[in-house]
Amino acid sequence: MASVPIFQKKFIKPQHVWKWEIAIYLYLAGMGAGAFIIGTLIIWFANHLLPQKLLNLWIYSIDLSKTAVLWGPLLVAIGSPFLILDLGKKMKFYTACLNPKTSWLARGFLILSAFIVIGLVLFVGSSAFDPRRTTAWLTLEIIGVALAFSTAIYTGILLKSVKYIPIWNTPLLPLLFLISALSTGSMGIILSLLGFKLTSPGHLLLKRLTSTEQVFILIEAIVLIFYLYSRYRQKDQGETSVHLLLSGPLRFLFWVGIVLIGFIFPILLEFLYTHLAQPGLLIITGIFLLAGGFFLRLGILASGIKEQLPMHKLVEMKININYSNLGLPPLPRGDEGKLKNLMRTRGVL
Amino acid sequence: MYGKVLVVEHEKCTGCRQCELVCSVFHNGTSNPSRARIKVMKWEHVGFYLPMTCQNCEKPFCTEVCPTKACHRDIENQRVIIDKDKCIGCKTCVVACPFGHPFFDPIDRVTVKCDYCDGEPQCVRFCEVKAIDYVEADRVQMAKRREVFTKFSDLLKIER
Repeated sequence: MASVPIFQKKFIKPQHVWKWEIAIYLYLAGMGAGAFIIGTLIIWFANHLLPQKLLNLWIYSIDLSKTAVLWGPLLVAIGSPFLILDLGKKMKFYTACLNPKTSWLARGFLILSAFIVIGLVLFVGSSAFDPRRTTAWLTLEIIGVALAFSTAIYTGILLKSVKYIPIWNTPLLPLLFLISALSTGSMGIILSLLGFKLTSPGHLLLKRLTSTEQVFILIEAIVLIFYLYSRYRQKDQGETSVHLLLSGPLRFLFWVGIVLIGFIFPILLEFLYTHLAQPGLLIITGIFLLAGGFFLRLGILASGIKEQLPMHKLVEMKININYSNLGLPPLPRGDEGKLKNLMRTRGVL
Repeated sequence: MYGKVLVVEHEKCTGCRQCELVCSVFHNGTSNPSRARIKVMKWEHVGFYLPMTCQNCEKPFCTEVCPTKACHRDIENQRVIIDKDKCIGCKTCVVACPFGHPFFDPIDRVTVKCDYCDGEPQCVRFCEVKAIDYVEADRVQMAKRREVFTKFSDLLKIER
């Protein structure tokens, strides 16, 4: 509910209903989907670059190379309980799919469930069993990638579907979240390749991934600038929201959390990494980038201000000209005093 | 035929908040104004009070975003209600409503909104100054129009 002190300084509060739980969910769902897309693309087109590493467990041999790149659905599965945490009646979360006809929340529930199931099948199947490159498996992988794209875009569409919050109601938001998902996902893949000790720091695959990563960061920065500018031009509350982010109470979150930690440090550090090839640099870059992605979601959620109703403006005008009994439009200057006097003498005012 | 809606005349409201009390007694059995489905916004330094309720939109956005169809338009009684048994408390209708009307009740752990008290709104019944009224949707502005016109015509008589 917008609480509006009508006079002097206009401070309209942003929404306070969707908080950090939703930000974590959007972040993990996006990152998991992006990581899955990049991982599957690696398996399709760069499998020769991926070092094979087998872990022998009991009677199974686990193909760690596939495990290291296909863990995306796991992250989405970890992110979904945060959404359930935000509900009032947590035990009834499964009924949230009953209205896919009009509700994006219900559609998202179905998309995410499908992605988690199919993604986990692909994850376990590729790692534990050795699926031959059959058409059936390839079809399943294609469906998985399509669902991953849908998941990454859905995180943005969910916010866009709230029509009355101008900073969210734009197709640039799903695009921004998609690029951010791909960027954080590919950084996750880089970190997991290092973590599973699959590649040495100077490995060709890592070099390709880091250069792709740099492209993603640049595209994301450009889309973010376009997004903020387009929302700034959206009267009135779009402008207020962007002010809130850039120079209002959220400015630390934006300039330090999103711009500095999420964009500037990673670009600088990756530039250094291409010349120094120190794994430590890459890990720090990774942590900064992933934190920046989370702060982006948090910032956009925390700056959602609802459009001011025409009713508010009307009430504002009435207060300012002190004609709350009349409902007439404001008169030209000079006549106001004459009219007021007339009304006072006749006992109308 | 078009259904009745609650119409607020904020000039008459004195800010007594009786409507909030009876609303919470009727719906929750407790005298707790913070759980009332009508909220009176107050600007004490100018003496301006604005009771806010559900506007009973013809194409309600809250029903479109509800994932469980708990929030739906009751065709029979021409009102928008939230089915308490189906609501999971996701609070999407709170974010979606352009008037910010539904709110999350932390005691029942569901989202609640004005449901016109099943036909006889208590706030209308108990408001002493008749700042809130329950009228047909197509006749909402008649009283106001009459009032403005009367005052305007008085002024014209004065001018002459």
